[in-house]
Amino acid sequence: MGIDYLQEWTLLAWAGRFLVALAFASAVAAVISFSQGWNEWGKRAFQLHAVSTFAVIALVFVLFGFHRYEFQYIWKHLNNAMPMRFILSAFWGGQEGGFLLWMFWHNVLGLILLRKKTKWTAVTMATLSGIQVFLTSMILGIYFGDFQLGLDPFLLLRDAPQYAGLPWTLRADYLTAFPLFQDGQGLNPLLQNYWMTIHPPTLFLGFAATSVPFAYAIAGLTNRTDNSWMRPALRWSFFTIGILGTGILMGGAWAYEALSFGGFWAWDPVENSSLVPWIMSVAGGHLLLINRNRKKPLALFTTYYFLILSFLLVLYSTFLTKSGILGDTSVHSFVDSGILPQLLVYLLTFVTLGHIMLLRPGKWRRWTLFAIFTLALACFKGYAIETLTLFLLLMATIGIKAYRTDIERTEGEDSVWSRDFWMFVGALLLLVSAAHITWQTSLPVFNHFLEPWSGTLASLGESWNSDLLRDLSEHNLAPGTDFDQTYHLVQVPLAVLIMLGIGFAQWLKYKHTNIGNVLKKIFLPILVSMLLTGILLWQFSFEWWEVPRVALLFAALFAVASNADYIIQLGKGKWRQIGSPLAHVGFGLVIFGAVLSTSQKNIISKNQIGDISTLNEELNNREDLLIMEGDTLNIGEYFVSYRDRYTEGIHVKFRMDYFDKEPRVYEPGEVVFFDGMVFEALEDHEASEQFTDDMEDHWMFIPFPNERQAKTARIWESGVPGEKQFTLEPRIQLNEQMGNAPEPDTRHWLHRDLYTHIKWGRVTPPETDEEGWMGGRSHTLQVGDSMLIGHTLLTIDSLRAIDDSEKPNRGLLTKDLAIAACVQLKNKDMRSQHEPLYIVRDSLVVPDMFEADDYGIKMRIETFNPQQETLEMTIWEHISVRRDFVVMQAVLFPLINVLWLGCIIMAIGSGMAVFARWKRDNKSTAPKSSGLSDE
Amino acid sequence: MKRSHIMSLLLVAILVGTFIATFTSTSRSVGFAQAANIPGEECKVSGTLVREQPVIYDPIVDPTKTVFHMEDKSGAKCKVILEKAKPTGLENSESIDLYGAMVDGEFHATEMLMKCPSKYNESNHVLSLETDESTS
Repeated sequence: MGIDYLQEWTLLAWAGRFLVALAFASAVAAVISFSQGWNEWGKRAFQLHAVSTFAVIALVFVLFGFHRYEFQYIWKHLNNAMPMRFILSAFWGGQEGGFLLWMFWHNVLGLILLRKKTKWTAVTMATLSGIQVFLTSMILGIYFGDFQLGLDPFLLLRDAPQYAGLPWTLRADYLTAFPLFQDGQGLNPLLQNYWMTIHPPTLFLGFAATSVPFAYAIAGLTNRTDNSWMRPALRWSFFTIGILGTGILMGGAWAYEALSFGGFWAWDPVENSSLVPWIMSVAGGHLLLINRNRKKPLALFTTYYFLILSFLLVLYSTFLTKSGILGDTSVHSFVDSGILPQLLVYLLTFVTLGHIMLLRPGKWRRWTLFAIFTLALACFKGYAIETLTLFLLLMATIGIKAYRTDIERTEGEDSVWSRDFWMFVGALLLLVSAAHITWQTSLPVFNHFLEPWSGTLASLGESWNSDLLRDLSEHNLAPGTDFDQTYHLVQVPLAVLIMLGIGFAQWLKYKHTNIGNVLKKIFLPILVSMLLTGILLWQFSFEWWEVPRVALLFAALFAVASNADYIIQLGKGKWRQIGSPLAHVGFGLVIFGAVLSTSQKNIISKNQIGDISTLNEELNNREDLLIMEGDTLNIGEYFVSYRDRYTEGIHVKFRMDYFDKEPRVYEPGEVVFFDGMVFEALEDHEASEQFTDDMEDHWMFIPFPNERQAKTARIWESGVPGEKQFTLEPRIQLNEQMGNAPEPDTRHWLHRDLYTHIKWGRVTPPETDEEGWMGGRSHTLQVGDSMLIGHTLLTIDSLRAIDDSEKPNRGLLTKDLAIAACVQLKNKDMRSQHEPLYIVRDSLVVPDMFEADDYGIKMRIETFNPQQETLEMTIWEHISVRRDFVVMQAVLFPLINVLWLGCIIMAIGSGMAVFARWKRDNKSTAPKSSGLSDE
Repeated sequence: MKRSHIMSLLLVAILVGTFIATFTSTSRSVGFAQAANIPGEECKVSGTLVREQPVIYDPIVDPTKTVFHMEDKSGAKCKVILEKAKPTGLENSESIDLYGAMVDGEFHATEMLMKCPSKYNESNHVLSLETDESTS
């Protein structure tokens, strides 16, 4: 076009794109080099890839730092009002940044792996580089006709396809000419939070880390006689488990602290799809533990497959959340941005790789590749769903074939009383758990698979008269909203078994154990956990149908007690041995805290009747409480009062004071002000409602207060509500573009939290006319009807025609036809009768405004229907009588700190286990490994 | 490995059993017309907010009642009574999923999910509109 655009940093865009292209090319070079065994070349290529990726990231940060709004990514995620400390959150607020973060971690991990050259380096690095090829392609931003390959983080706004041809894109001075381009759209207010700074990098490090055990498993499959890949894979598996687990729980903490859905876990597809890879990593890691030292492997196929699966599930998770396929079943997934095909190819490539590598090299591999090639061709012909179905069947077939013939299988039996056997059982239980969650989360995906069979299923459903088939034929499955039905029904019993296993199997030895000894050892933990469960049953109320839940609480306590006991008995001073039991203690506490605080949460704002109930009989508070400014309401063990509100930055904060229920007590010697006078208390007494009631008996007037008295004097306060305990400031974050977002405020104690958030509150003053009248809403009313206008209850008592004799007094003409509505107005302080008129003069309605100034209400009868005796009235309310109010929710979460404590312990325990293993492996690489288990 | 085989088979059996069990618990996604045929039965309806009709939320009257109209995917419109405080951003929502049941021709929703135009959405119209104004 040849327009010289002014003040654009176009050069940086080209530099950025060049770096992305370089990163892509060097990743491809690294794959080729490593897979050919040219390790030195591969290493250089990977280093070049890493450096260019880091440069891309640095460049994007520079653009953020300088507010370069000509770049679409910056314009979308940053604005001038945003503090710079949220620059990290803004960076990974979008898809492009997410991919860059993910690539960043892969590079860090790759560079770590490259530091030590082993015989596994070539294959693991080839795999890792292959992953990087696909990830880099996600930010290439190249168009092939209509097909878009990747999202370009350096895309200029004026180049974005959706703005193509708009007049402003042709103006050289568009950046300065339009105010729109001097400020960006800004980050969703919910993401402007310090959790958003630490949660995504931790989670993505966890995601990235799953690729390392995966890469080692692939490497192990290329050299099946050697199991030494398992040692590094084991370390990395437990690193993954620790980091990913922490990342997931950080997400929970973020949701709990900053979002307002009232909990830390909502079984949302996005949450589920990060949980499932974690579960599979745990299963795979424990299978590695079994096999690392065995001569005859146990469940070798399963070990390989679980490690592969945990990485594939990360890809599947990415596919679900970033492709937009979940549509509206998730509250926080991305909408479709046109990269679905690319994400799908990424996923399917690694599904293929993972499965083909399970086969021994030979004709099966070749035939499979040929079949996939054929399917790909069919896919281009437009049978996408059908070929995808066939593809998945093919992968299942390969899996079974590999299991039957291609992977070494152990003959002979292991002892039942061995750690190996129970760990294997536990891994299978974890698989069931992961499969179930994946199944529920994938229902929106299954709909796509059902679609082509819709007709067949419908006719089968008719001929067999099956509702299930008919439902399937409609291909609109969605996960249920009842968590107990949808998830807990299956997950809770599984978790019970897993937690019992964690407590029990810790005491078992590898190979064989004397079961009698073990039973003796777990006697005390069982006793302790039963005792604690008993205390829980006494302290909290459980319904009879919650038996599985109580069983889970018991099992979790048992896991904690048993592992703690293990640490005390066997871990003395040997800190290298206590990593794993410590992590298990942590996990037990996480499950215990999560289950107890969720199932026993107490919505104390529920079903409370406050003083506004006198104004409205229909007041129905389900979970939310309406509270007027200055009012004090009864809420659980507190009185809560809405003091006032104030605006701070982009937040409107509402000050909610919590008061004790016990009446306020004054002690002798306390000094108070009342009405400008100073009094000193004579004795201990509970304060009454009025000072005058107490003054004579309990207080002494001090005409000339001394210095101490003057200093300590407070304003006298009545007995009810009691002492102010604390103030919470839930807030509403203002954001014009994304809509206002409520954020909770939580009071933390050691044993519980009180969580408060504003469900509804007015953040802008209501609209009024010049005289201050609000609204003007029209209502249809019948005789006998009542309605609430602000604080005033309006009732239509009766209707009557105005006599001729009355007319002159009311300023009417004799020919007028007039109907008076006898209206009763009532508020807390007064009650009175009024008669607004409906006037017809010469068959025309004469509008007649009726003002009830005392109540701050005015009304006008618009129409009158004599047959049905109904009126249509417009009613206005004056701003001066309006009191501010909010709708709030308050929830008590008991023992939720156990969850966070468990999280920290689990992270520390995993870290210790990984470090101990790393030390040990480093030592044992020099002399030949003894091949014995470590406990 | 025989014992492990038995365990695996047992687990697969549990798996299949639970899937079938939970299949029945999945909400049926329907339109208003179908929901009206199964009054009182929990189902899911997806659609969009009818913007011509007002969203009524009067917390003074009932802080947990929001009334609005929704158009389902087949174009049928229905009055919805949501038993919650008005969710933030309802007026700007792109699509709505309601979970609830039809009662007397009104849909009583106990749970609601919304998709709001997020920052990932191209705010195409915003840009073109504003610049149109400033150029004219």
